[in-house]
Amino acid sequence: MWEKRFLACREWVNTWLARIACFVEKYNFSDQREATALQNFQRTAQSMGHGFDFLFREGIPEIPRYDAVFIRATTDPLFTSYVVSKTAWELGKRVIDDPESIQICGNKIHLYDLFEKHDVPHIPTMFLNKEDLHHKRLLEVFETLGKPIVVKAPYTSFSKYVEKVACETSFRDVAKRYFRKSDMLAVQTFMPTAFDWRVGVLNRKTLYVCKYMIPKGRWKHGAKRRGKPTFVWGRTVALKTENAPSKLKEVALKACDVIGHGLYGVDIKEVNGDYVVVEVNDNPSIYAGYEDSRNTDLYGKIIEYLVD
Amino acid sequence: MKDFTLNLNNDYRYLKTGYYVSMHAEVLGNRVIPSSESIIAASRTPILLLKASKAGIPTVPYLVTGSVRRIISEFGFPLVVFAVNPFCYDGYKIAHNRSALYRAVRSLSMSYKFAVCAQPLKGEMLSFKSVFGRCGLEGEVARVSRRVYEVFRLPICKLHVQKVGGEAFLCGLQPLRIGEVLPEDLEIVGEEVSRMSRMGEHLVG
Repeated sequence: MWEKRFLACREWVNTWLARIACFVEKYNFSDQREATALQNFQRTAQSMGHGFDFLFREGIPEIPRYDAVFIRATTDPLFTSYVVSKTAWELGKRVIDDPESIQICGNKIHLYDLFEKHDVPHIPTMFLNKEDLHHKRLLEVFETLGKPIVVKAPYTSFSKYVEKVACETSFRDVAKRYFRKSDMLAVQTFMPTAFDWRVGVLNRKTLYVCKYMIPKGRWKHGAKRRGKPTFVWGRTVALKTENAPSKLKEVALKACDVIGHGLYGVDIKEVNGDYVVVEVNDNPSIYAGYEDSRNTDLYGKIIEYLVD
Repeated sequence: MKDFTLNLNNDYRYLKTGYYVSMHAEVLGNRVIPSSESIIAASRTPILLLKASKAGIPTVPYLVTGSVRRIISEFGFPLVVFAVNPFCYDGYKIAHNRSALYRAVRSLSMSYKFAVCAQPLKGEMLSFKSVFGRCGLEGEVARVSRRVYEVFRLPICKLHVQKVGGEAFLCGLQPLRIGEVLPEDLEIVGEEVSRMSRMGEHLVG
């Protein structure tokens, strides 16, 4: 009780060291584990002496009142979260995720183009545009990458808009759908593994390490149930960062180096002892009891970075 | 690899070819007009207005929200409403009453999926083409067009401006449809390309 009254008092006289706005949408509270993680962020910030308010879409004009902005709503250059990020950035605030990271990670073509330039080990990838959708070119794609291949829309997130195809007909079906929104798409070699590594990185340091298990009979961490709109997700197994392979962490940090200094979740596949980057996500999922289970200090580290 | 890329396109929307050209040129380390960051900033009205006002371009007050009630309490009527979702081609809607505002917000927010950007309507709306900042108009409107090009460097676009008395306020920016680009616009493009070449830029088509 006294804690609540103390916190209310601080709010009233504004004695916070810094004020953090956490931009969220309603769906961020629909999963209990995500809602708990958000409360953990709030509790940690307050225990460190900082104000931490949840900011919804209606609160965007309030951004100038805050010292830092932490975005937890899904990011994409097309979403409102980008407007929040860019507004905060233009006003000189510290922001996770910063607009440049959203721009790069939100577009897989941009991301793989940078990986290519900076020699980041990644899954063999080819880019296709609408003019490439003809028999000769598709034969070349299958010859280069093998069968089946993975077709990725540039705006993929949460395992959506990624499909596996094994023939030209299904390739054309998928590509036509993705080309409605984007003039380019990425195709990649299919690499089946029992799990994907997820390495959380903050300010060029490893924050947490997990294994995202692939559900039985599926090929990606989140897979749509047949005939239903719902998803089935694989288990998340967390490791202490010091117990994770050092080569894995090196590859993750190298991938983040070409993007920026923010908070990222790097997906990596382990194939015959080598590590190849699948993708780097800004705004990585942080669910209570999953990503934080072996690295409980991640909340404090993120808050510290925001107010630094 | 070239060291300077002039990306000429009628449509610079995010995820379209015009965007990918600038993005790829930047990854290769080239200087490019327009930058991919400018392309995204210019197509999102609130960011456009924020960056423009920081650069001293006159803008009107705006509100980013999905709430009709909030818009009314903030500005009253009449209003001009812009989409924040950058896929929208049809730039804005004017609302003189509550029901028109509900219709505008519903349509421009794609059934409340995105927020909208509302601005008070104090004068008359003017929409015109801007090619390398040139718009064929005079006075304050021409100055806004020129300044927008200096800040965002979008060679070809459509601008929405509010004229209040002798003043002009930037309201929004849109891509052009291919049919809207006329031969006289291409003449301006030719002149600008020659000017850049004279200034020492090595242009390869």
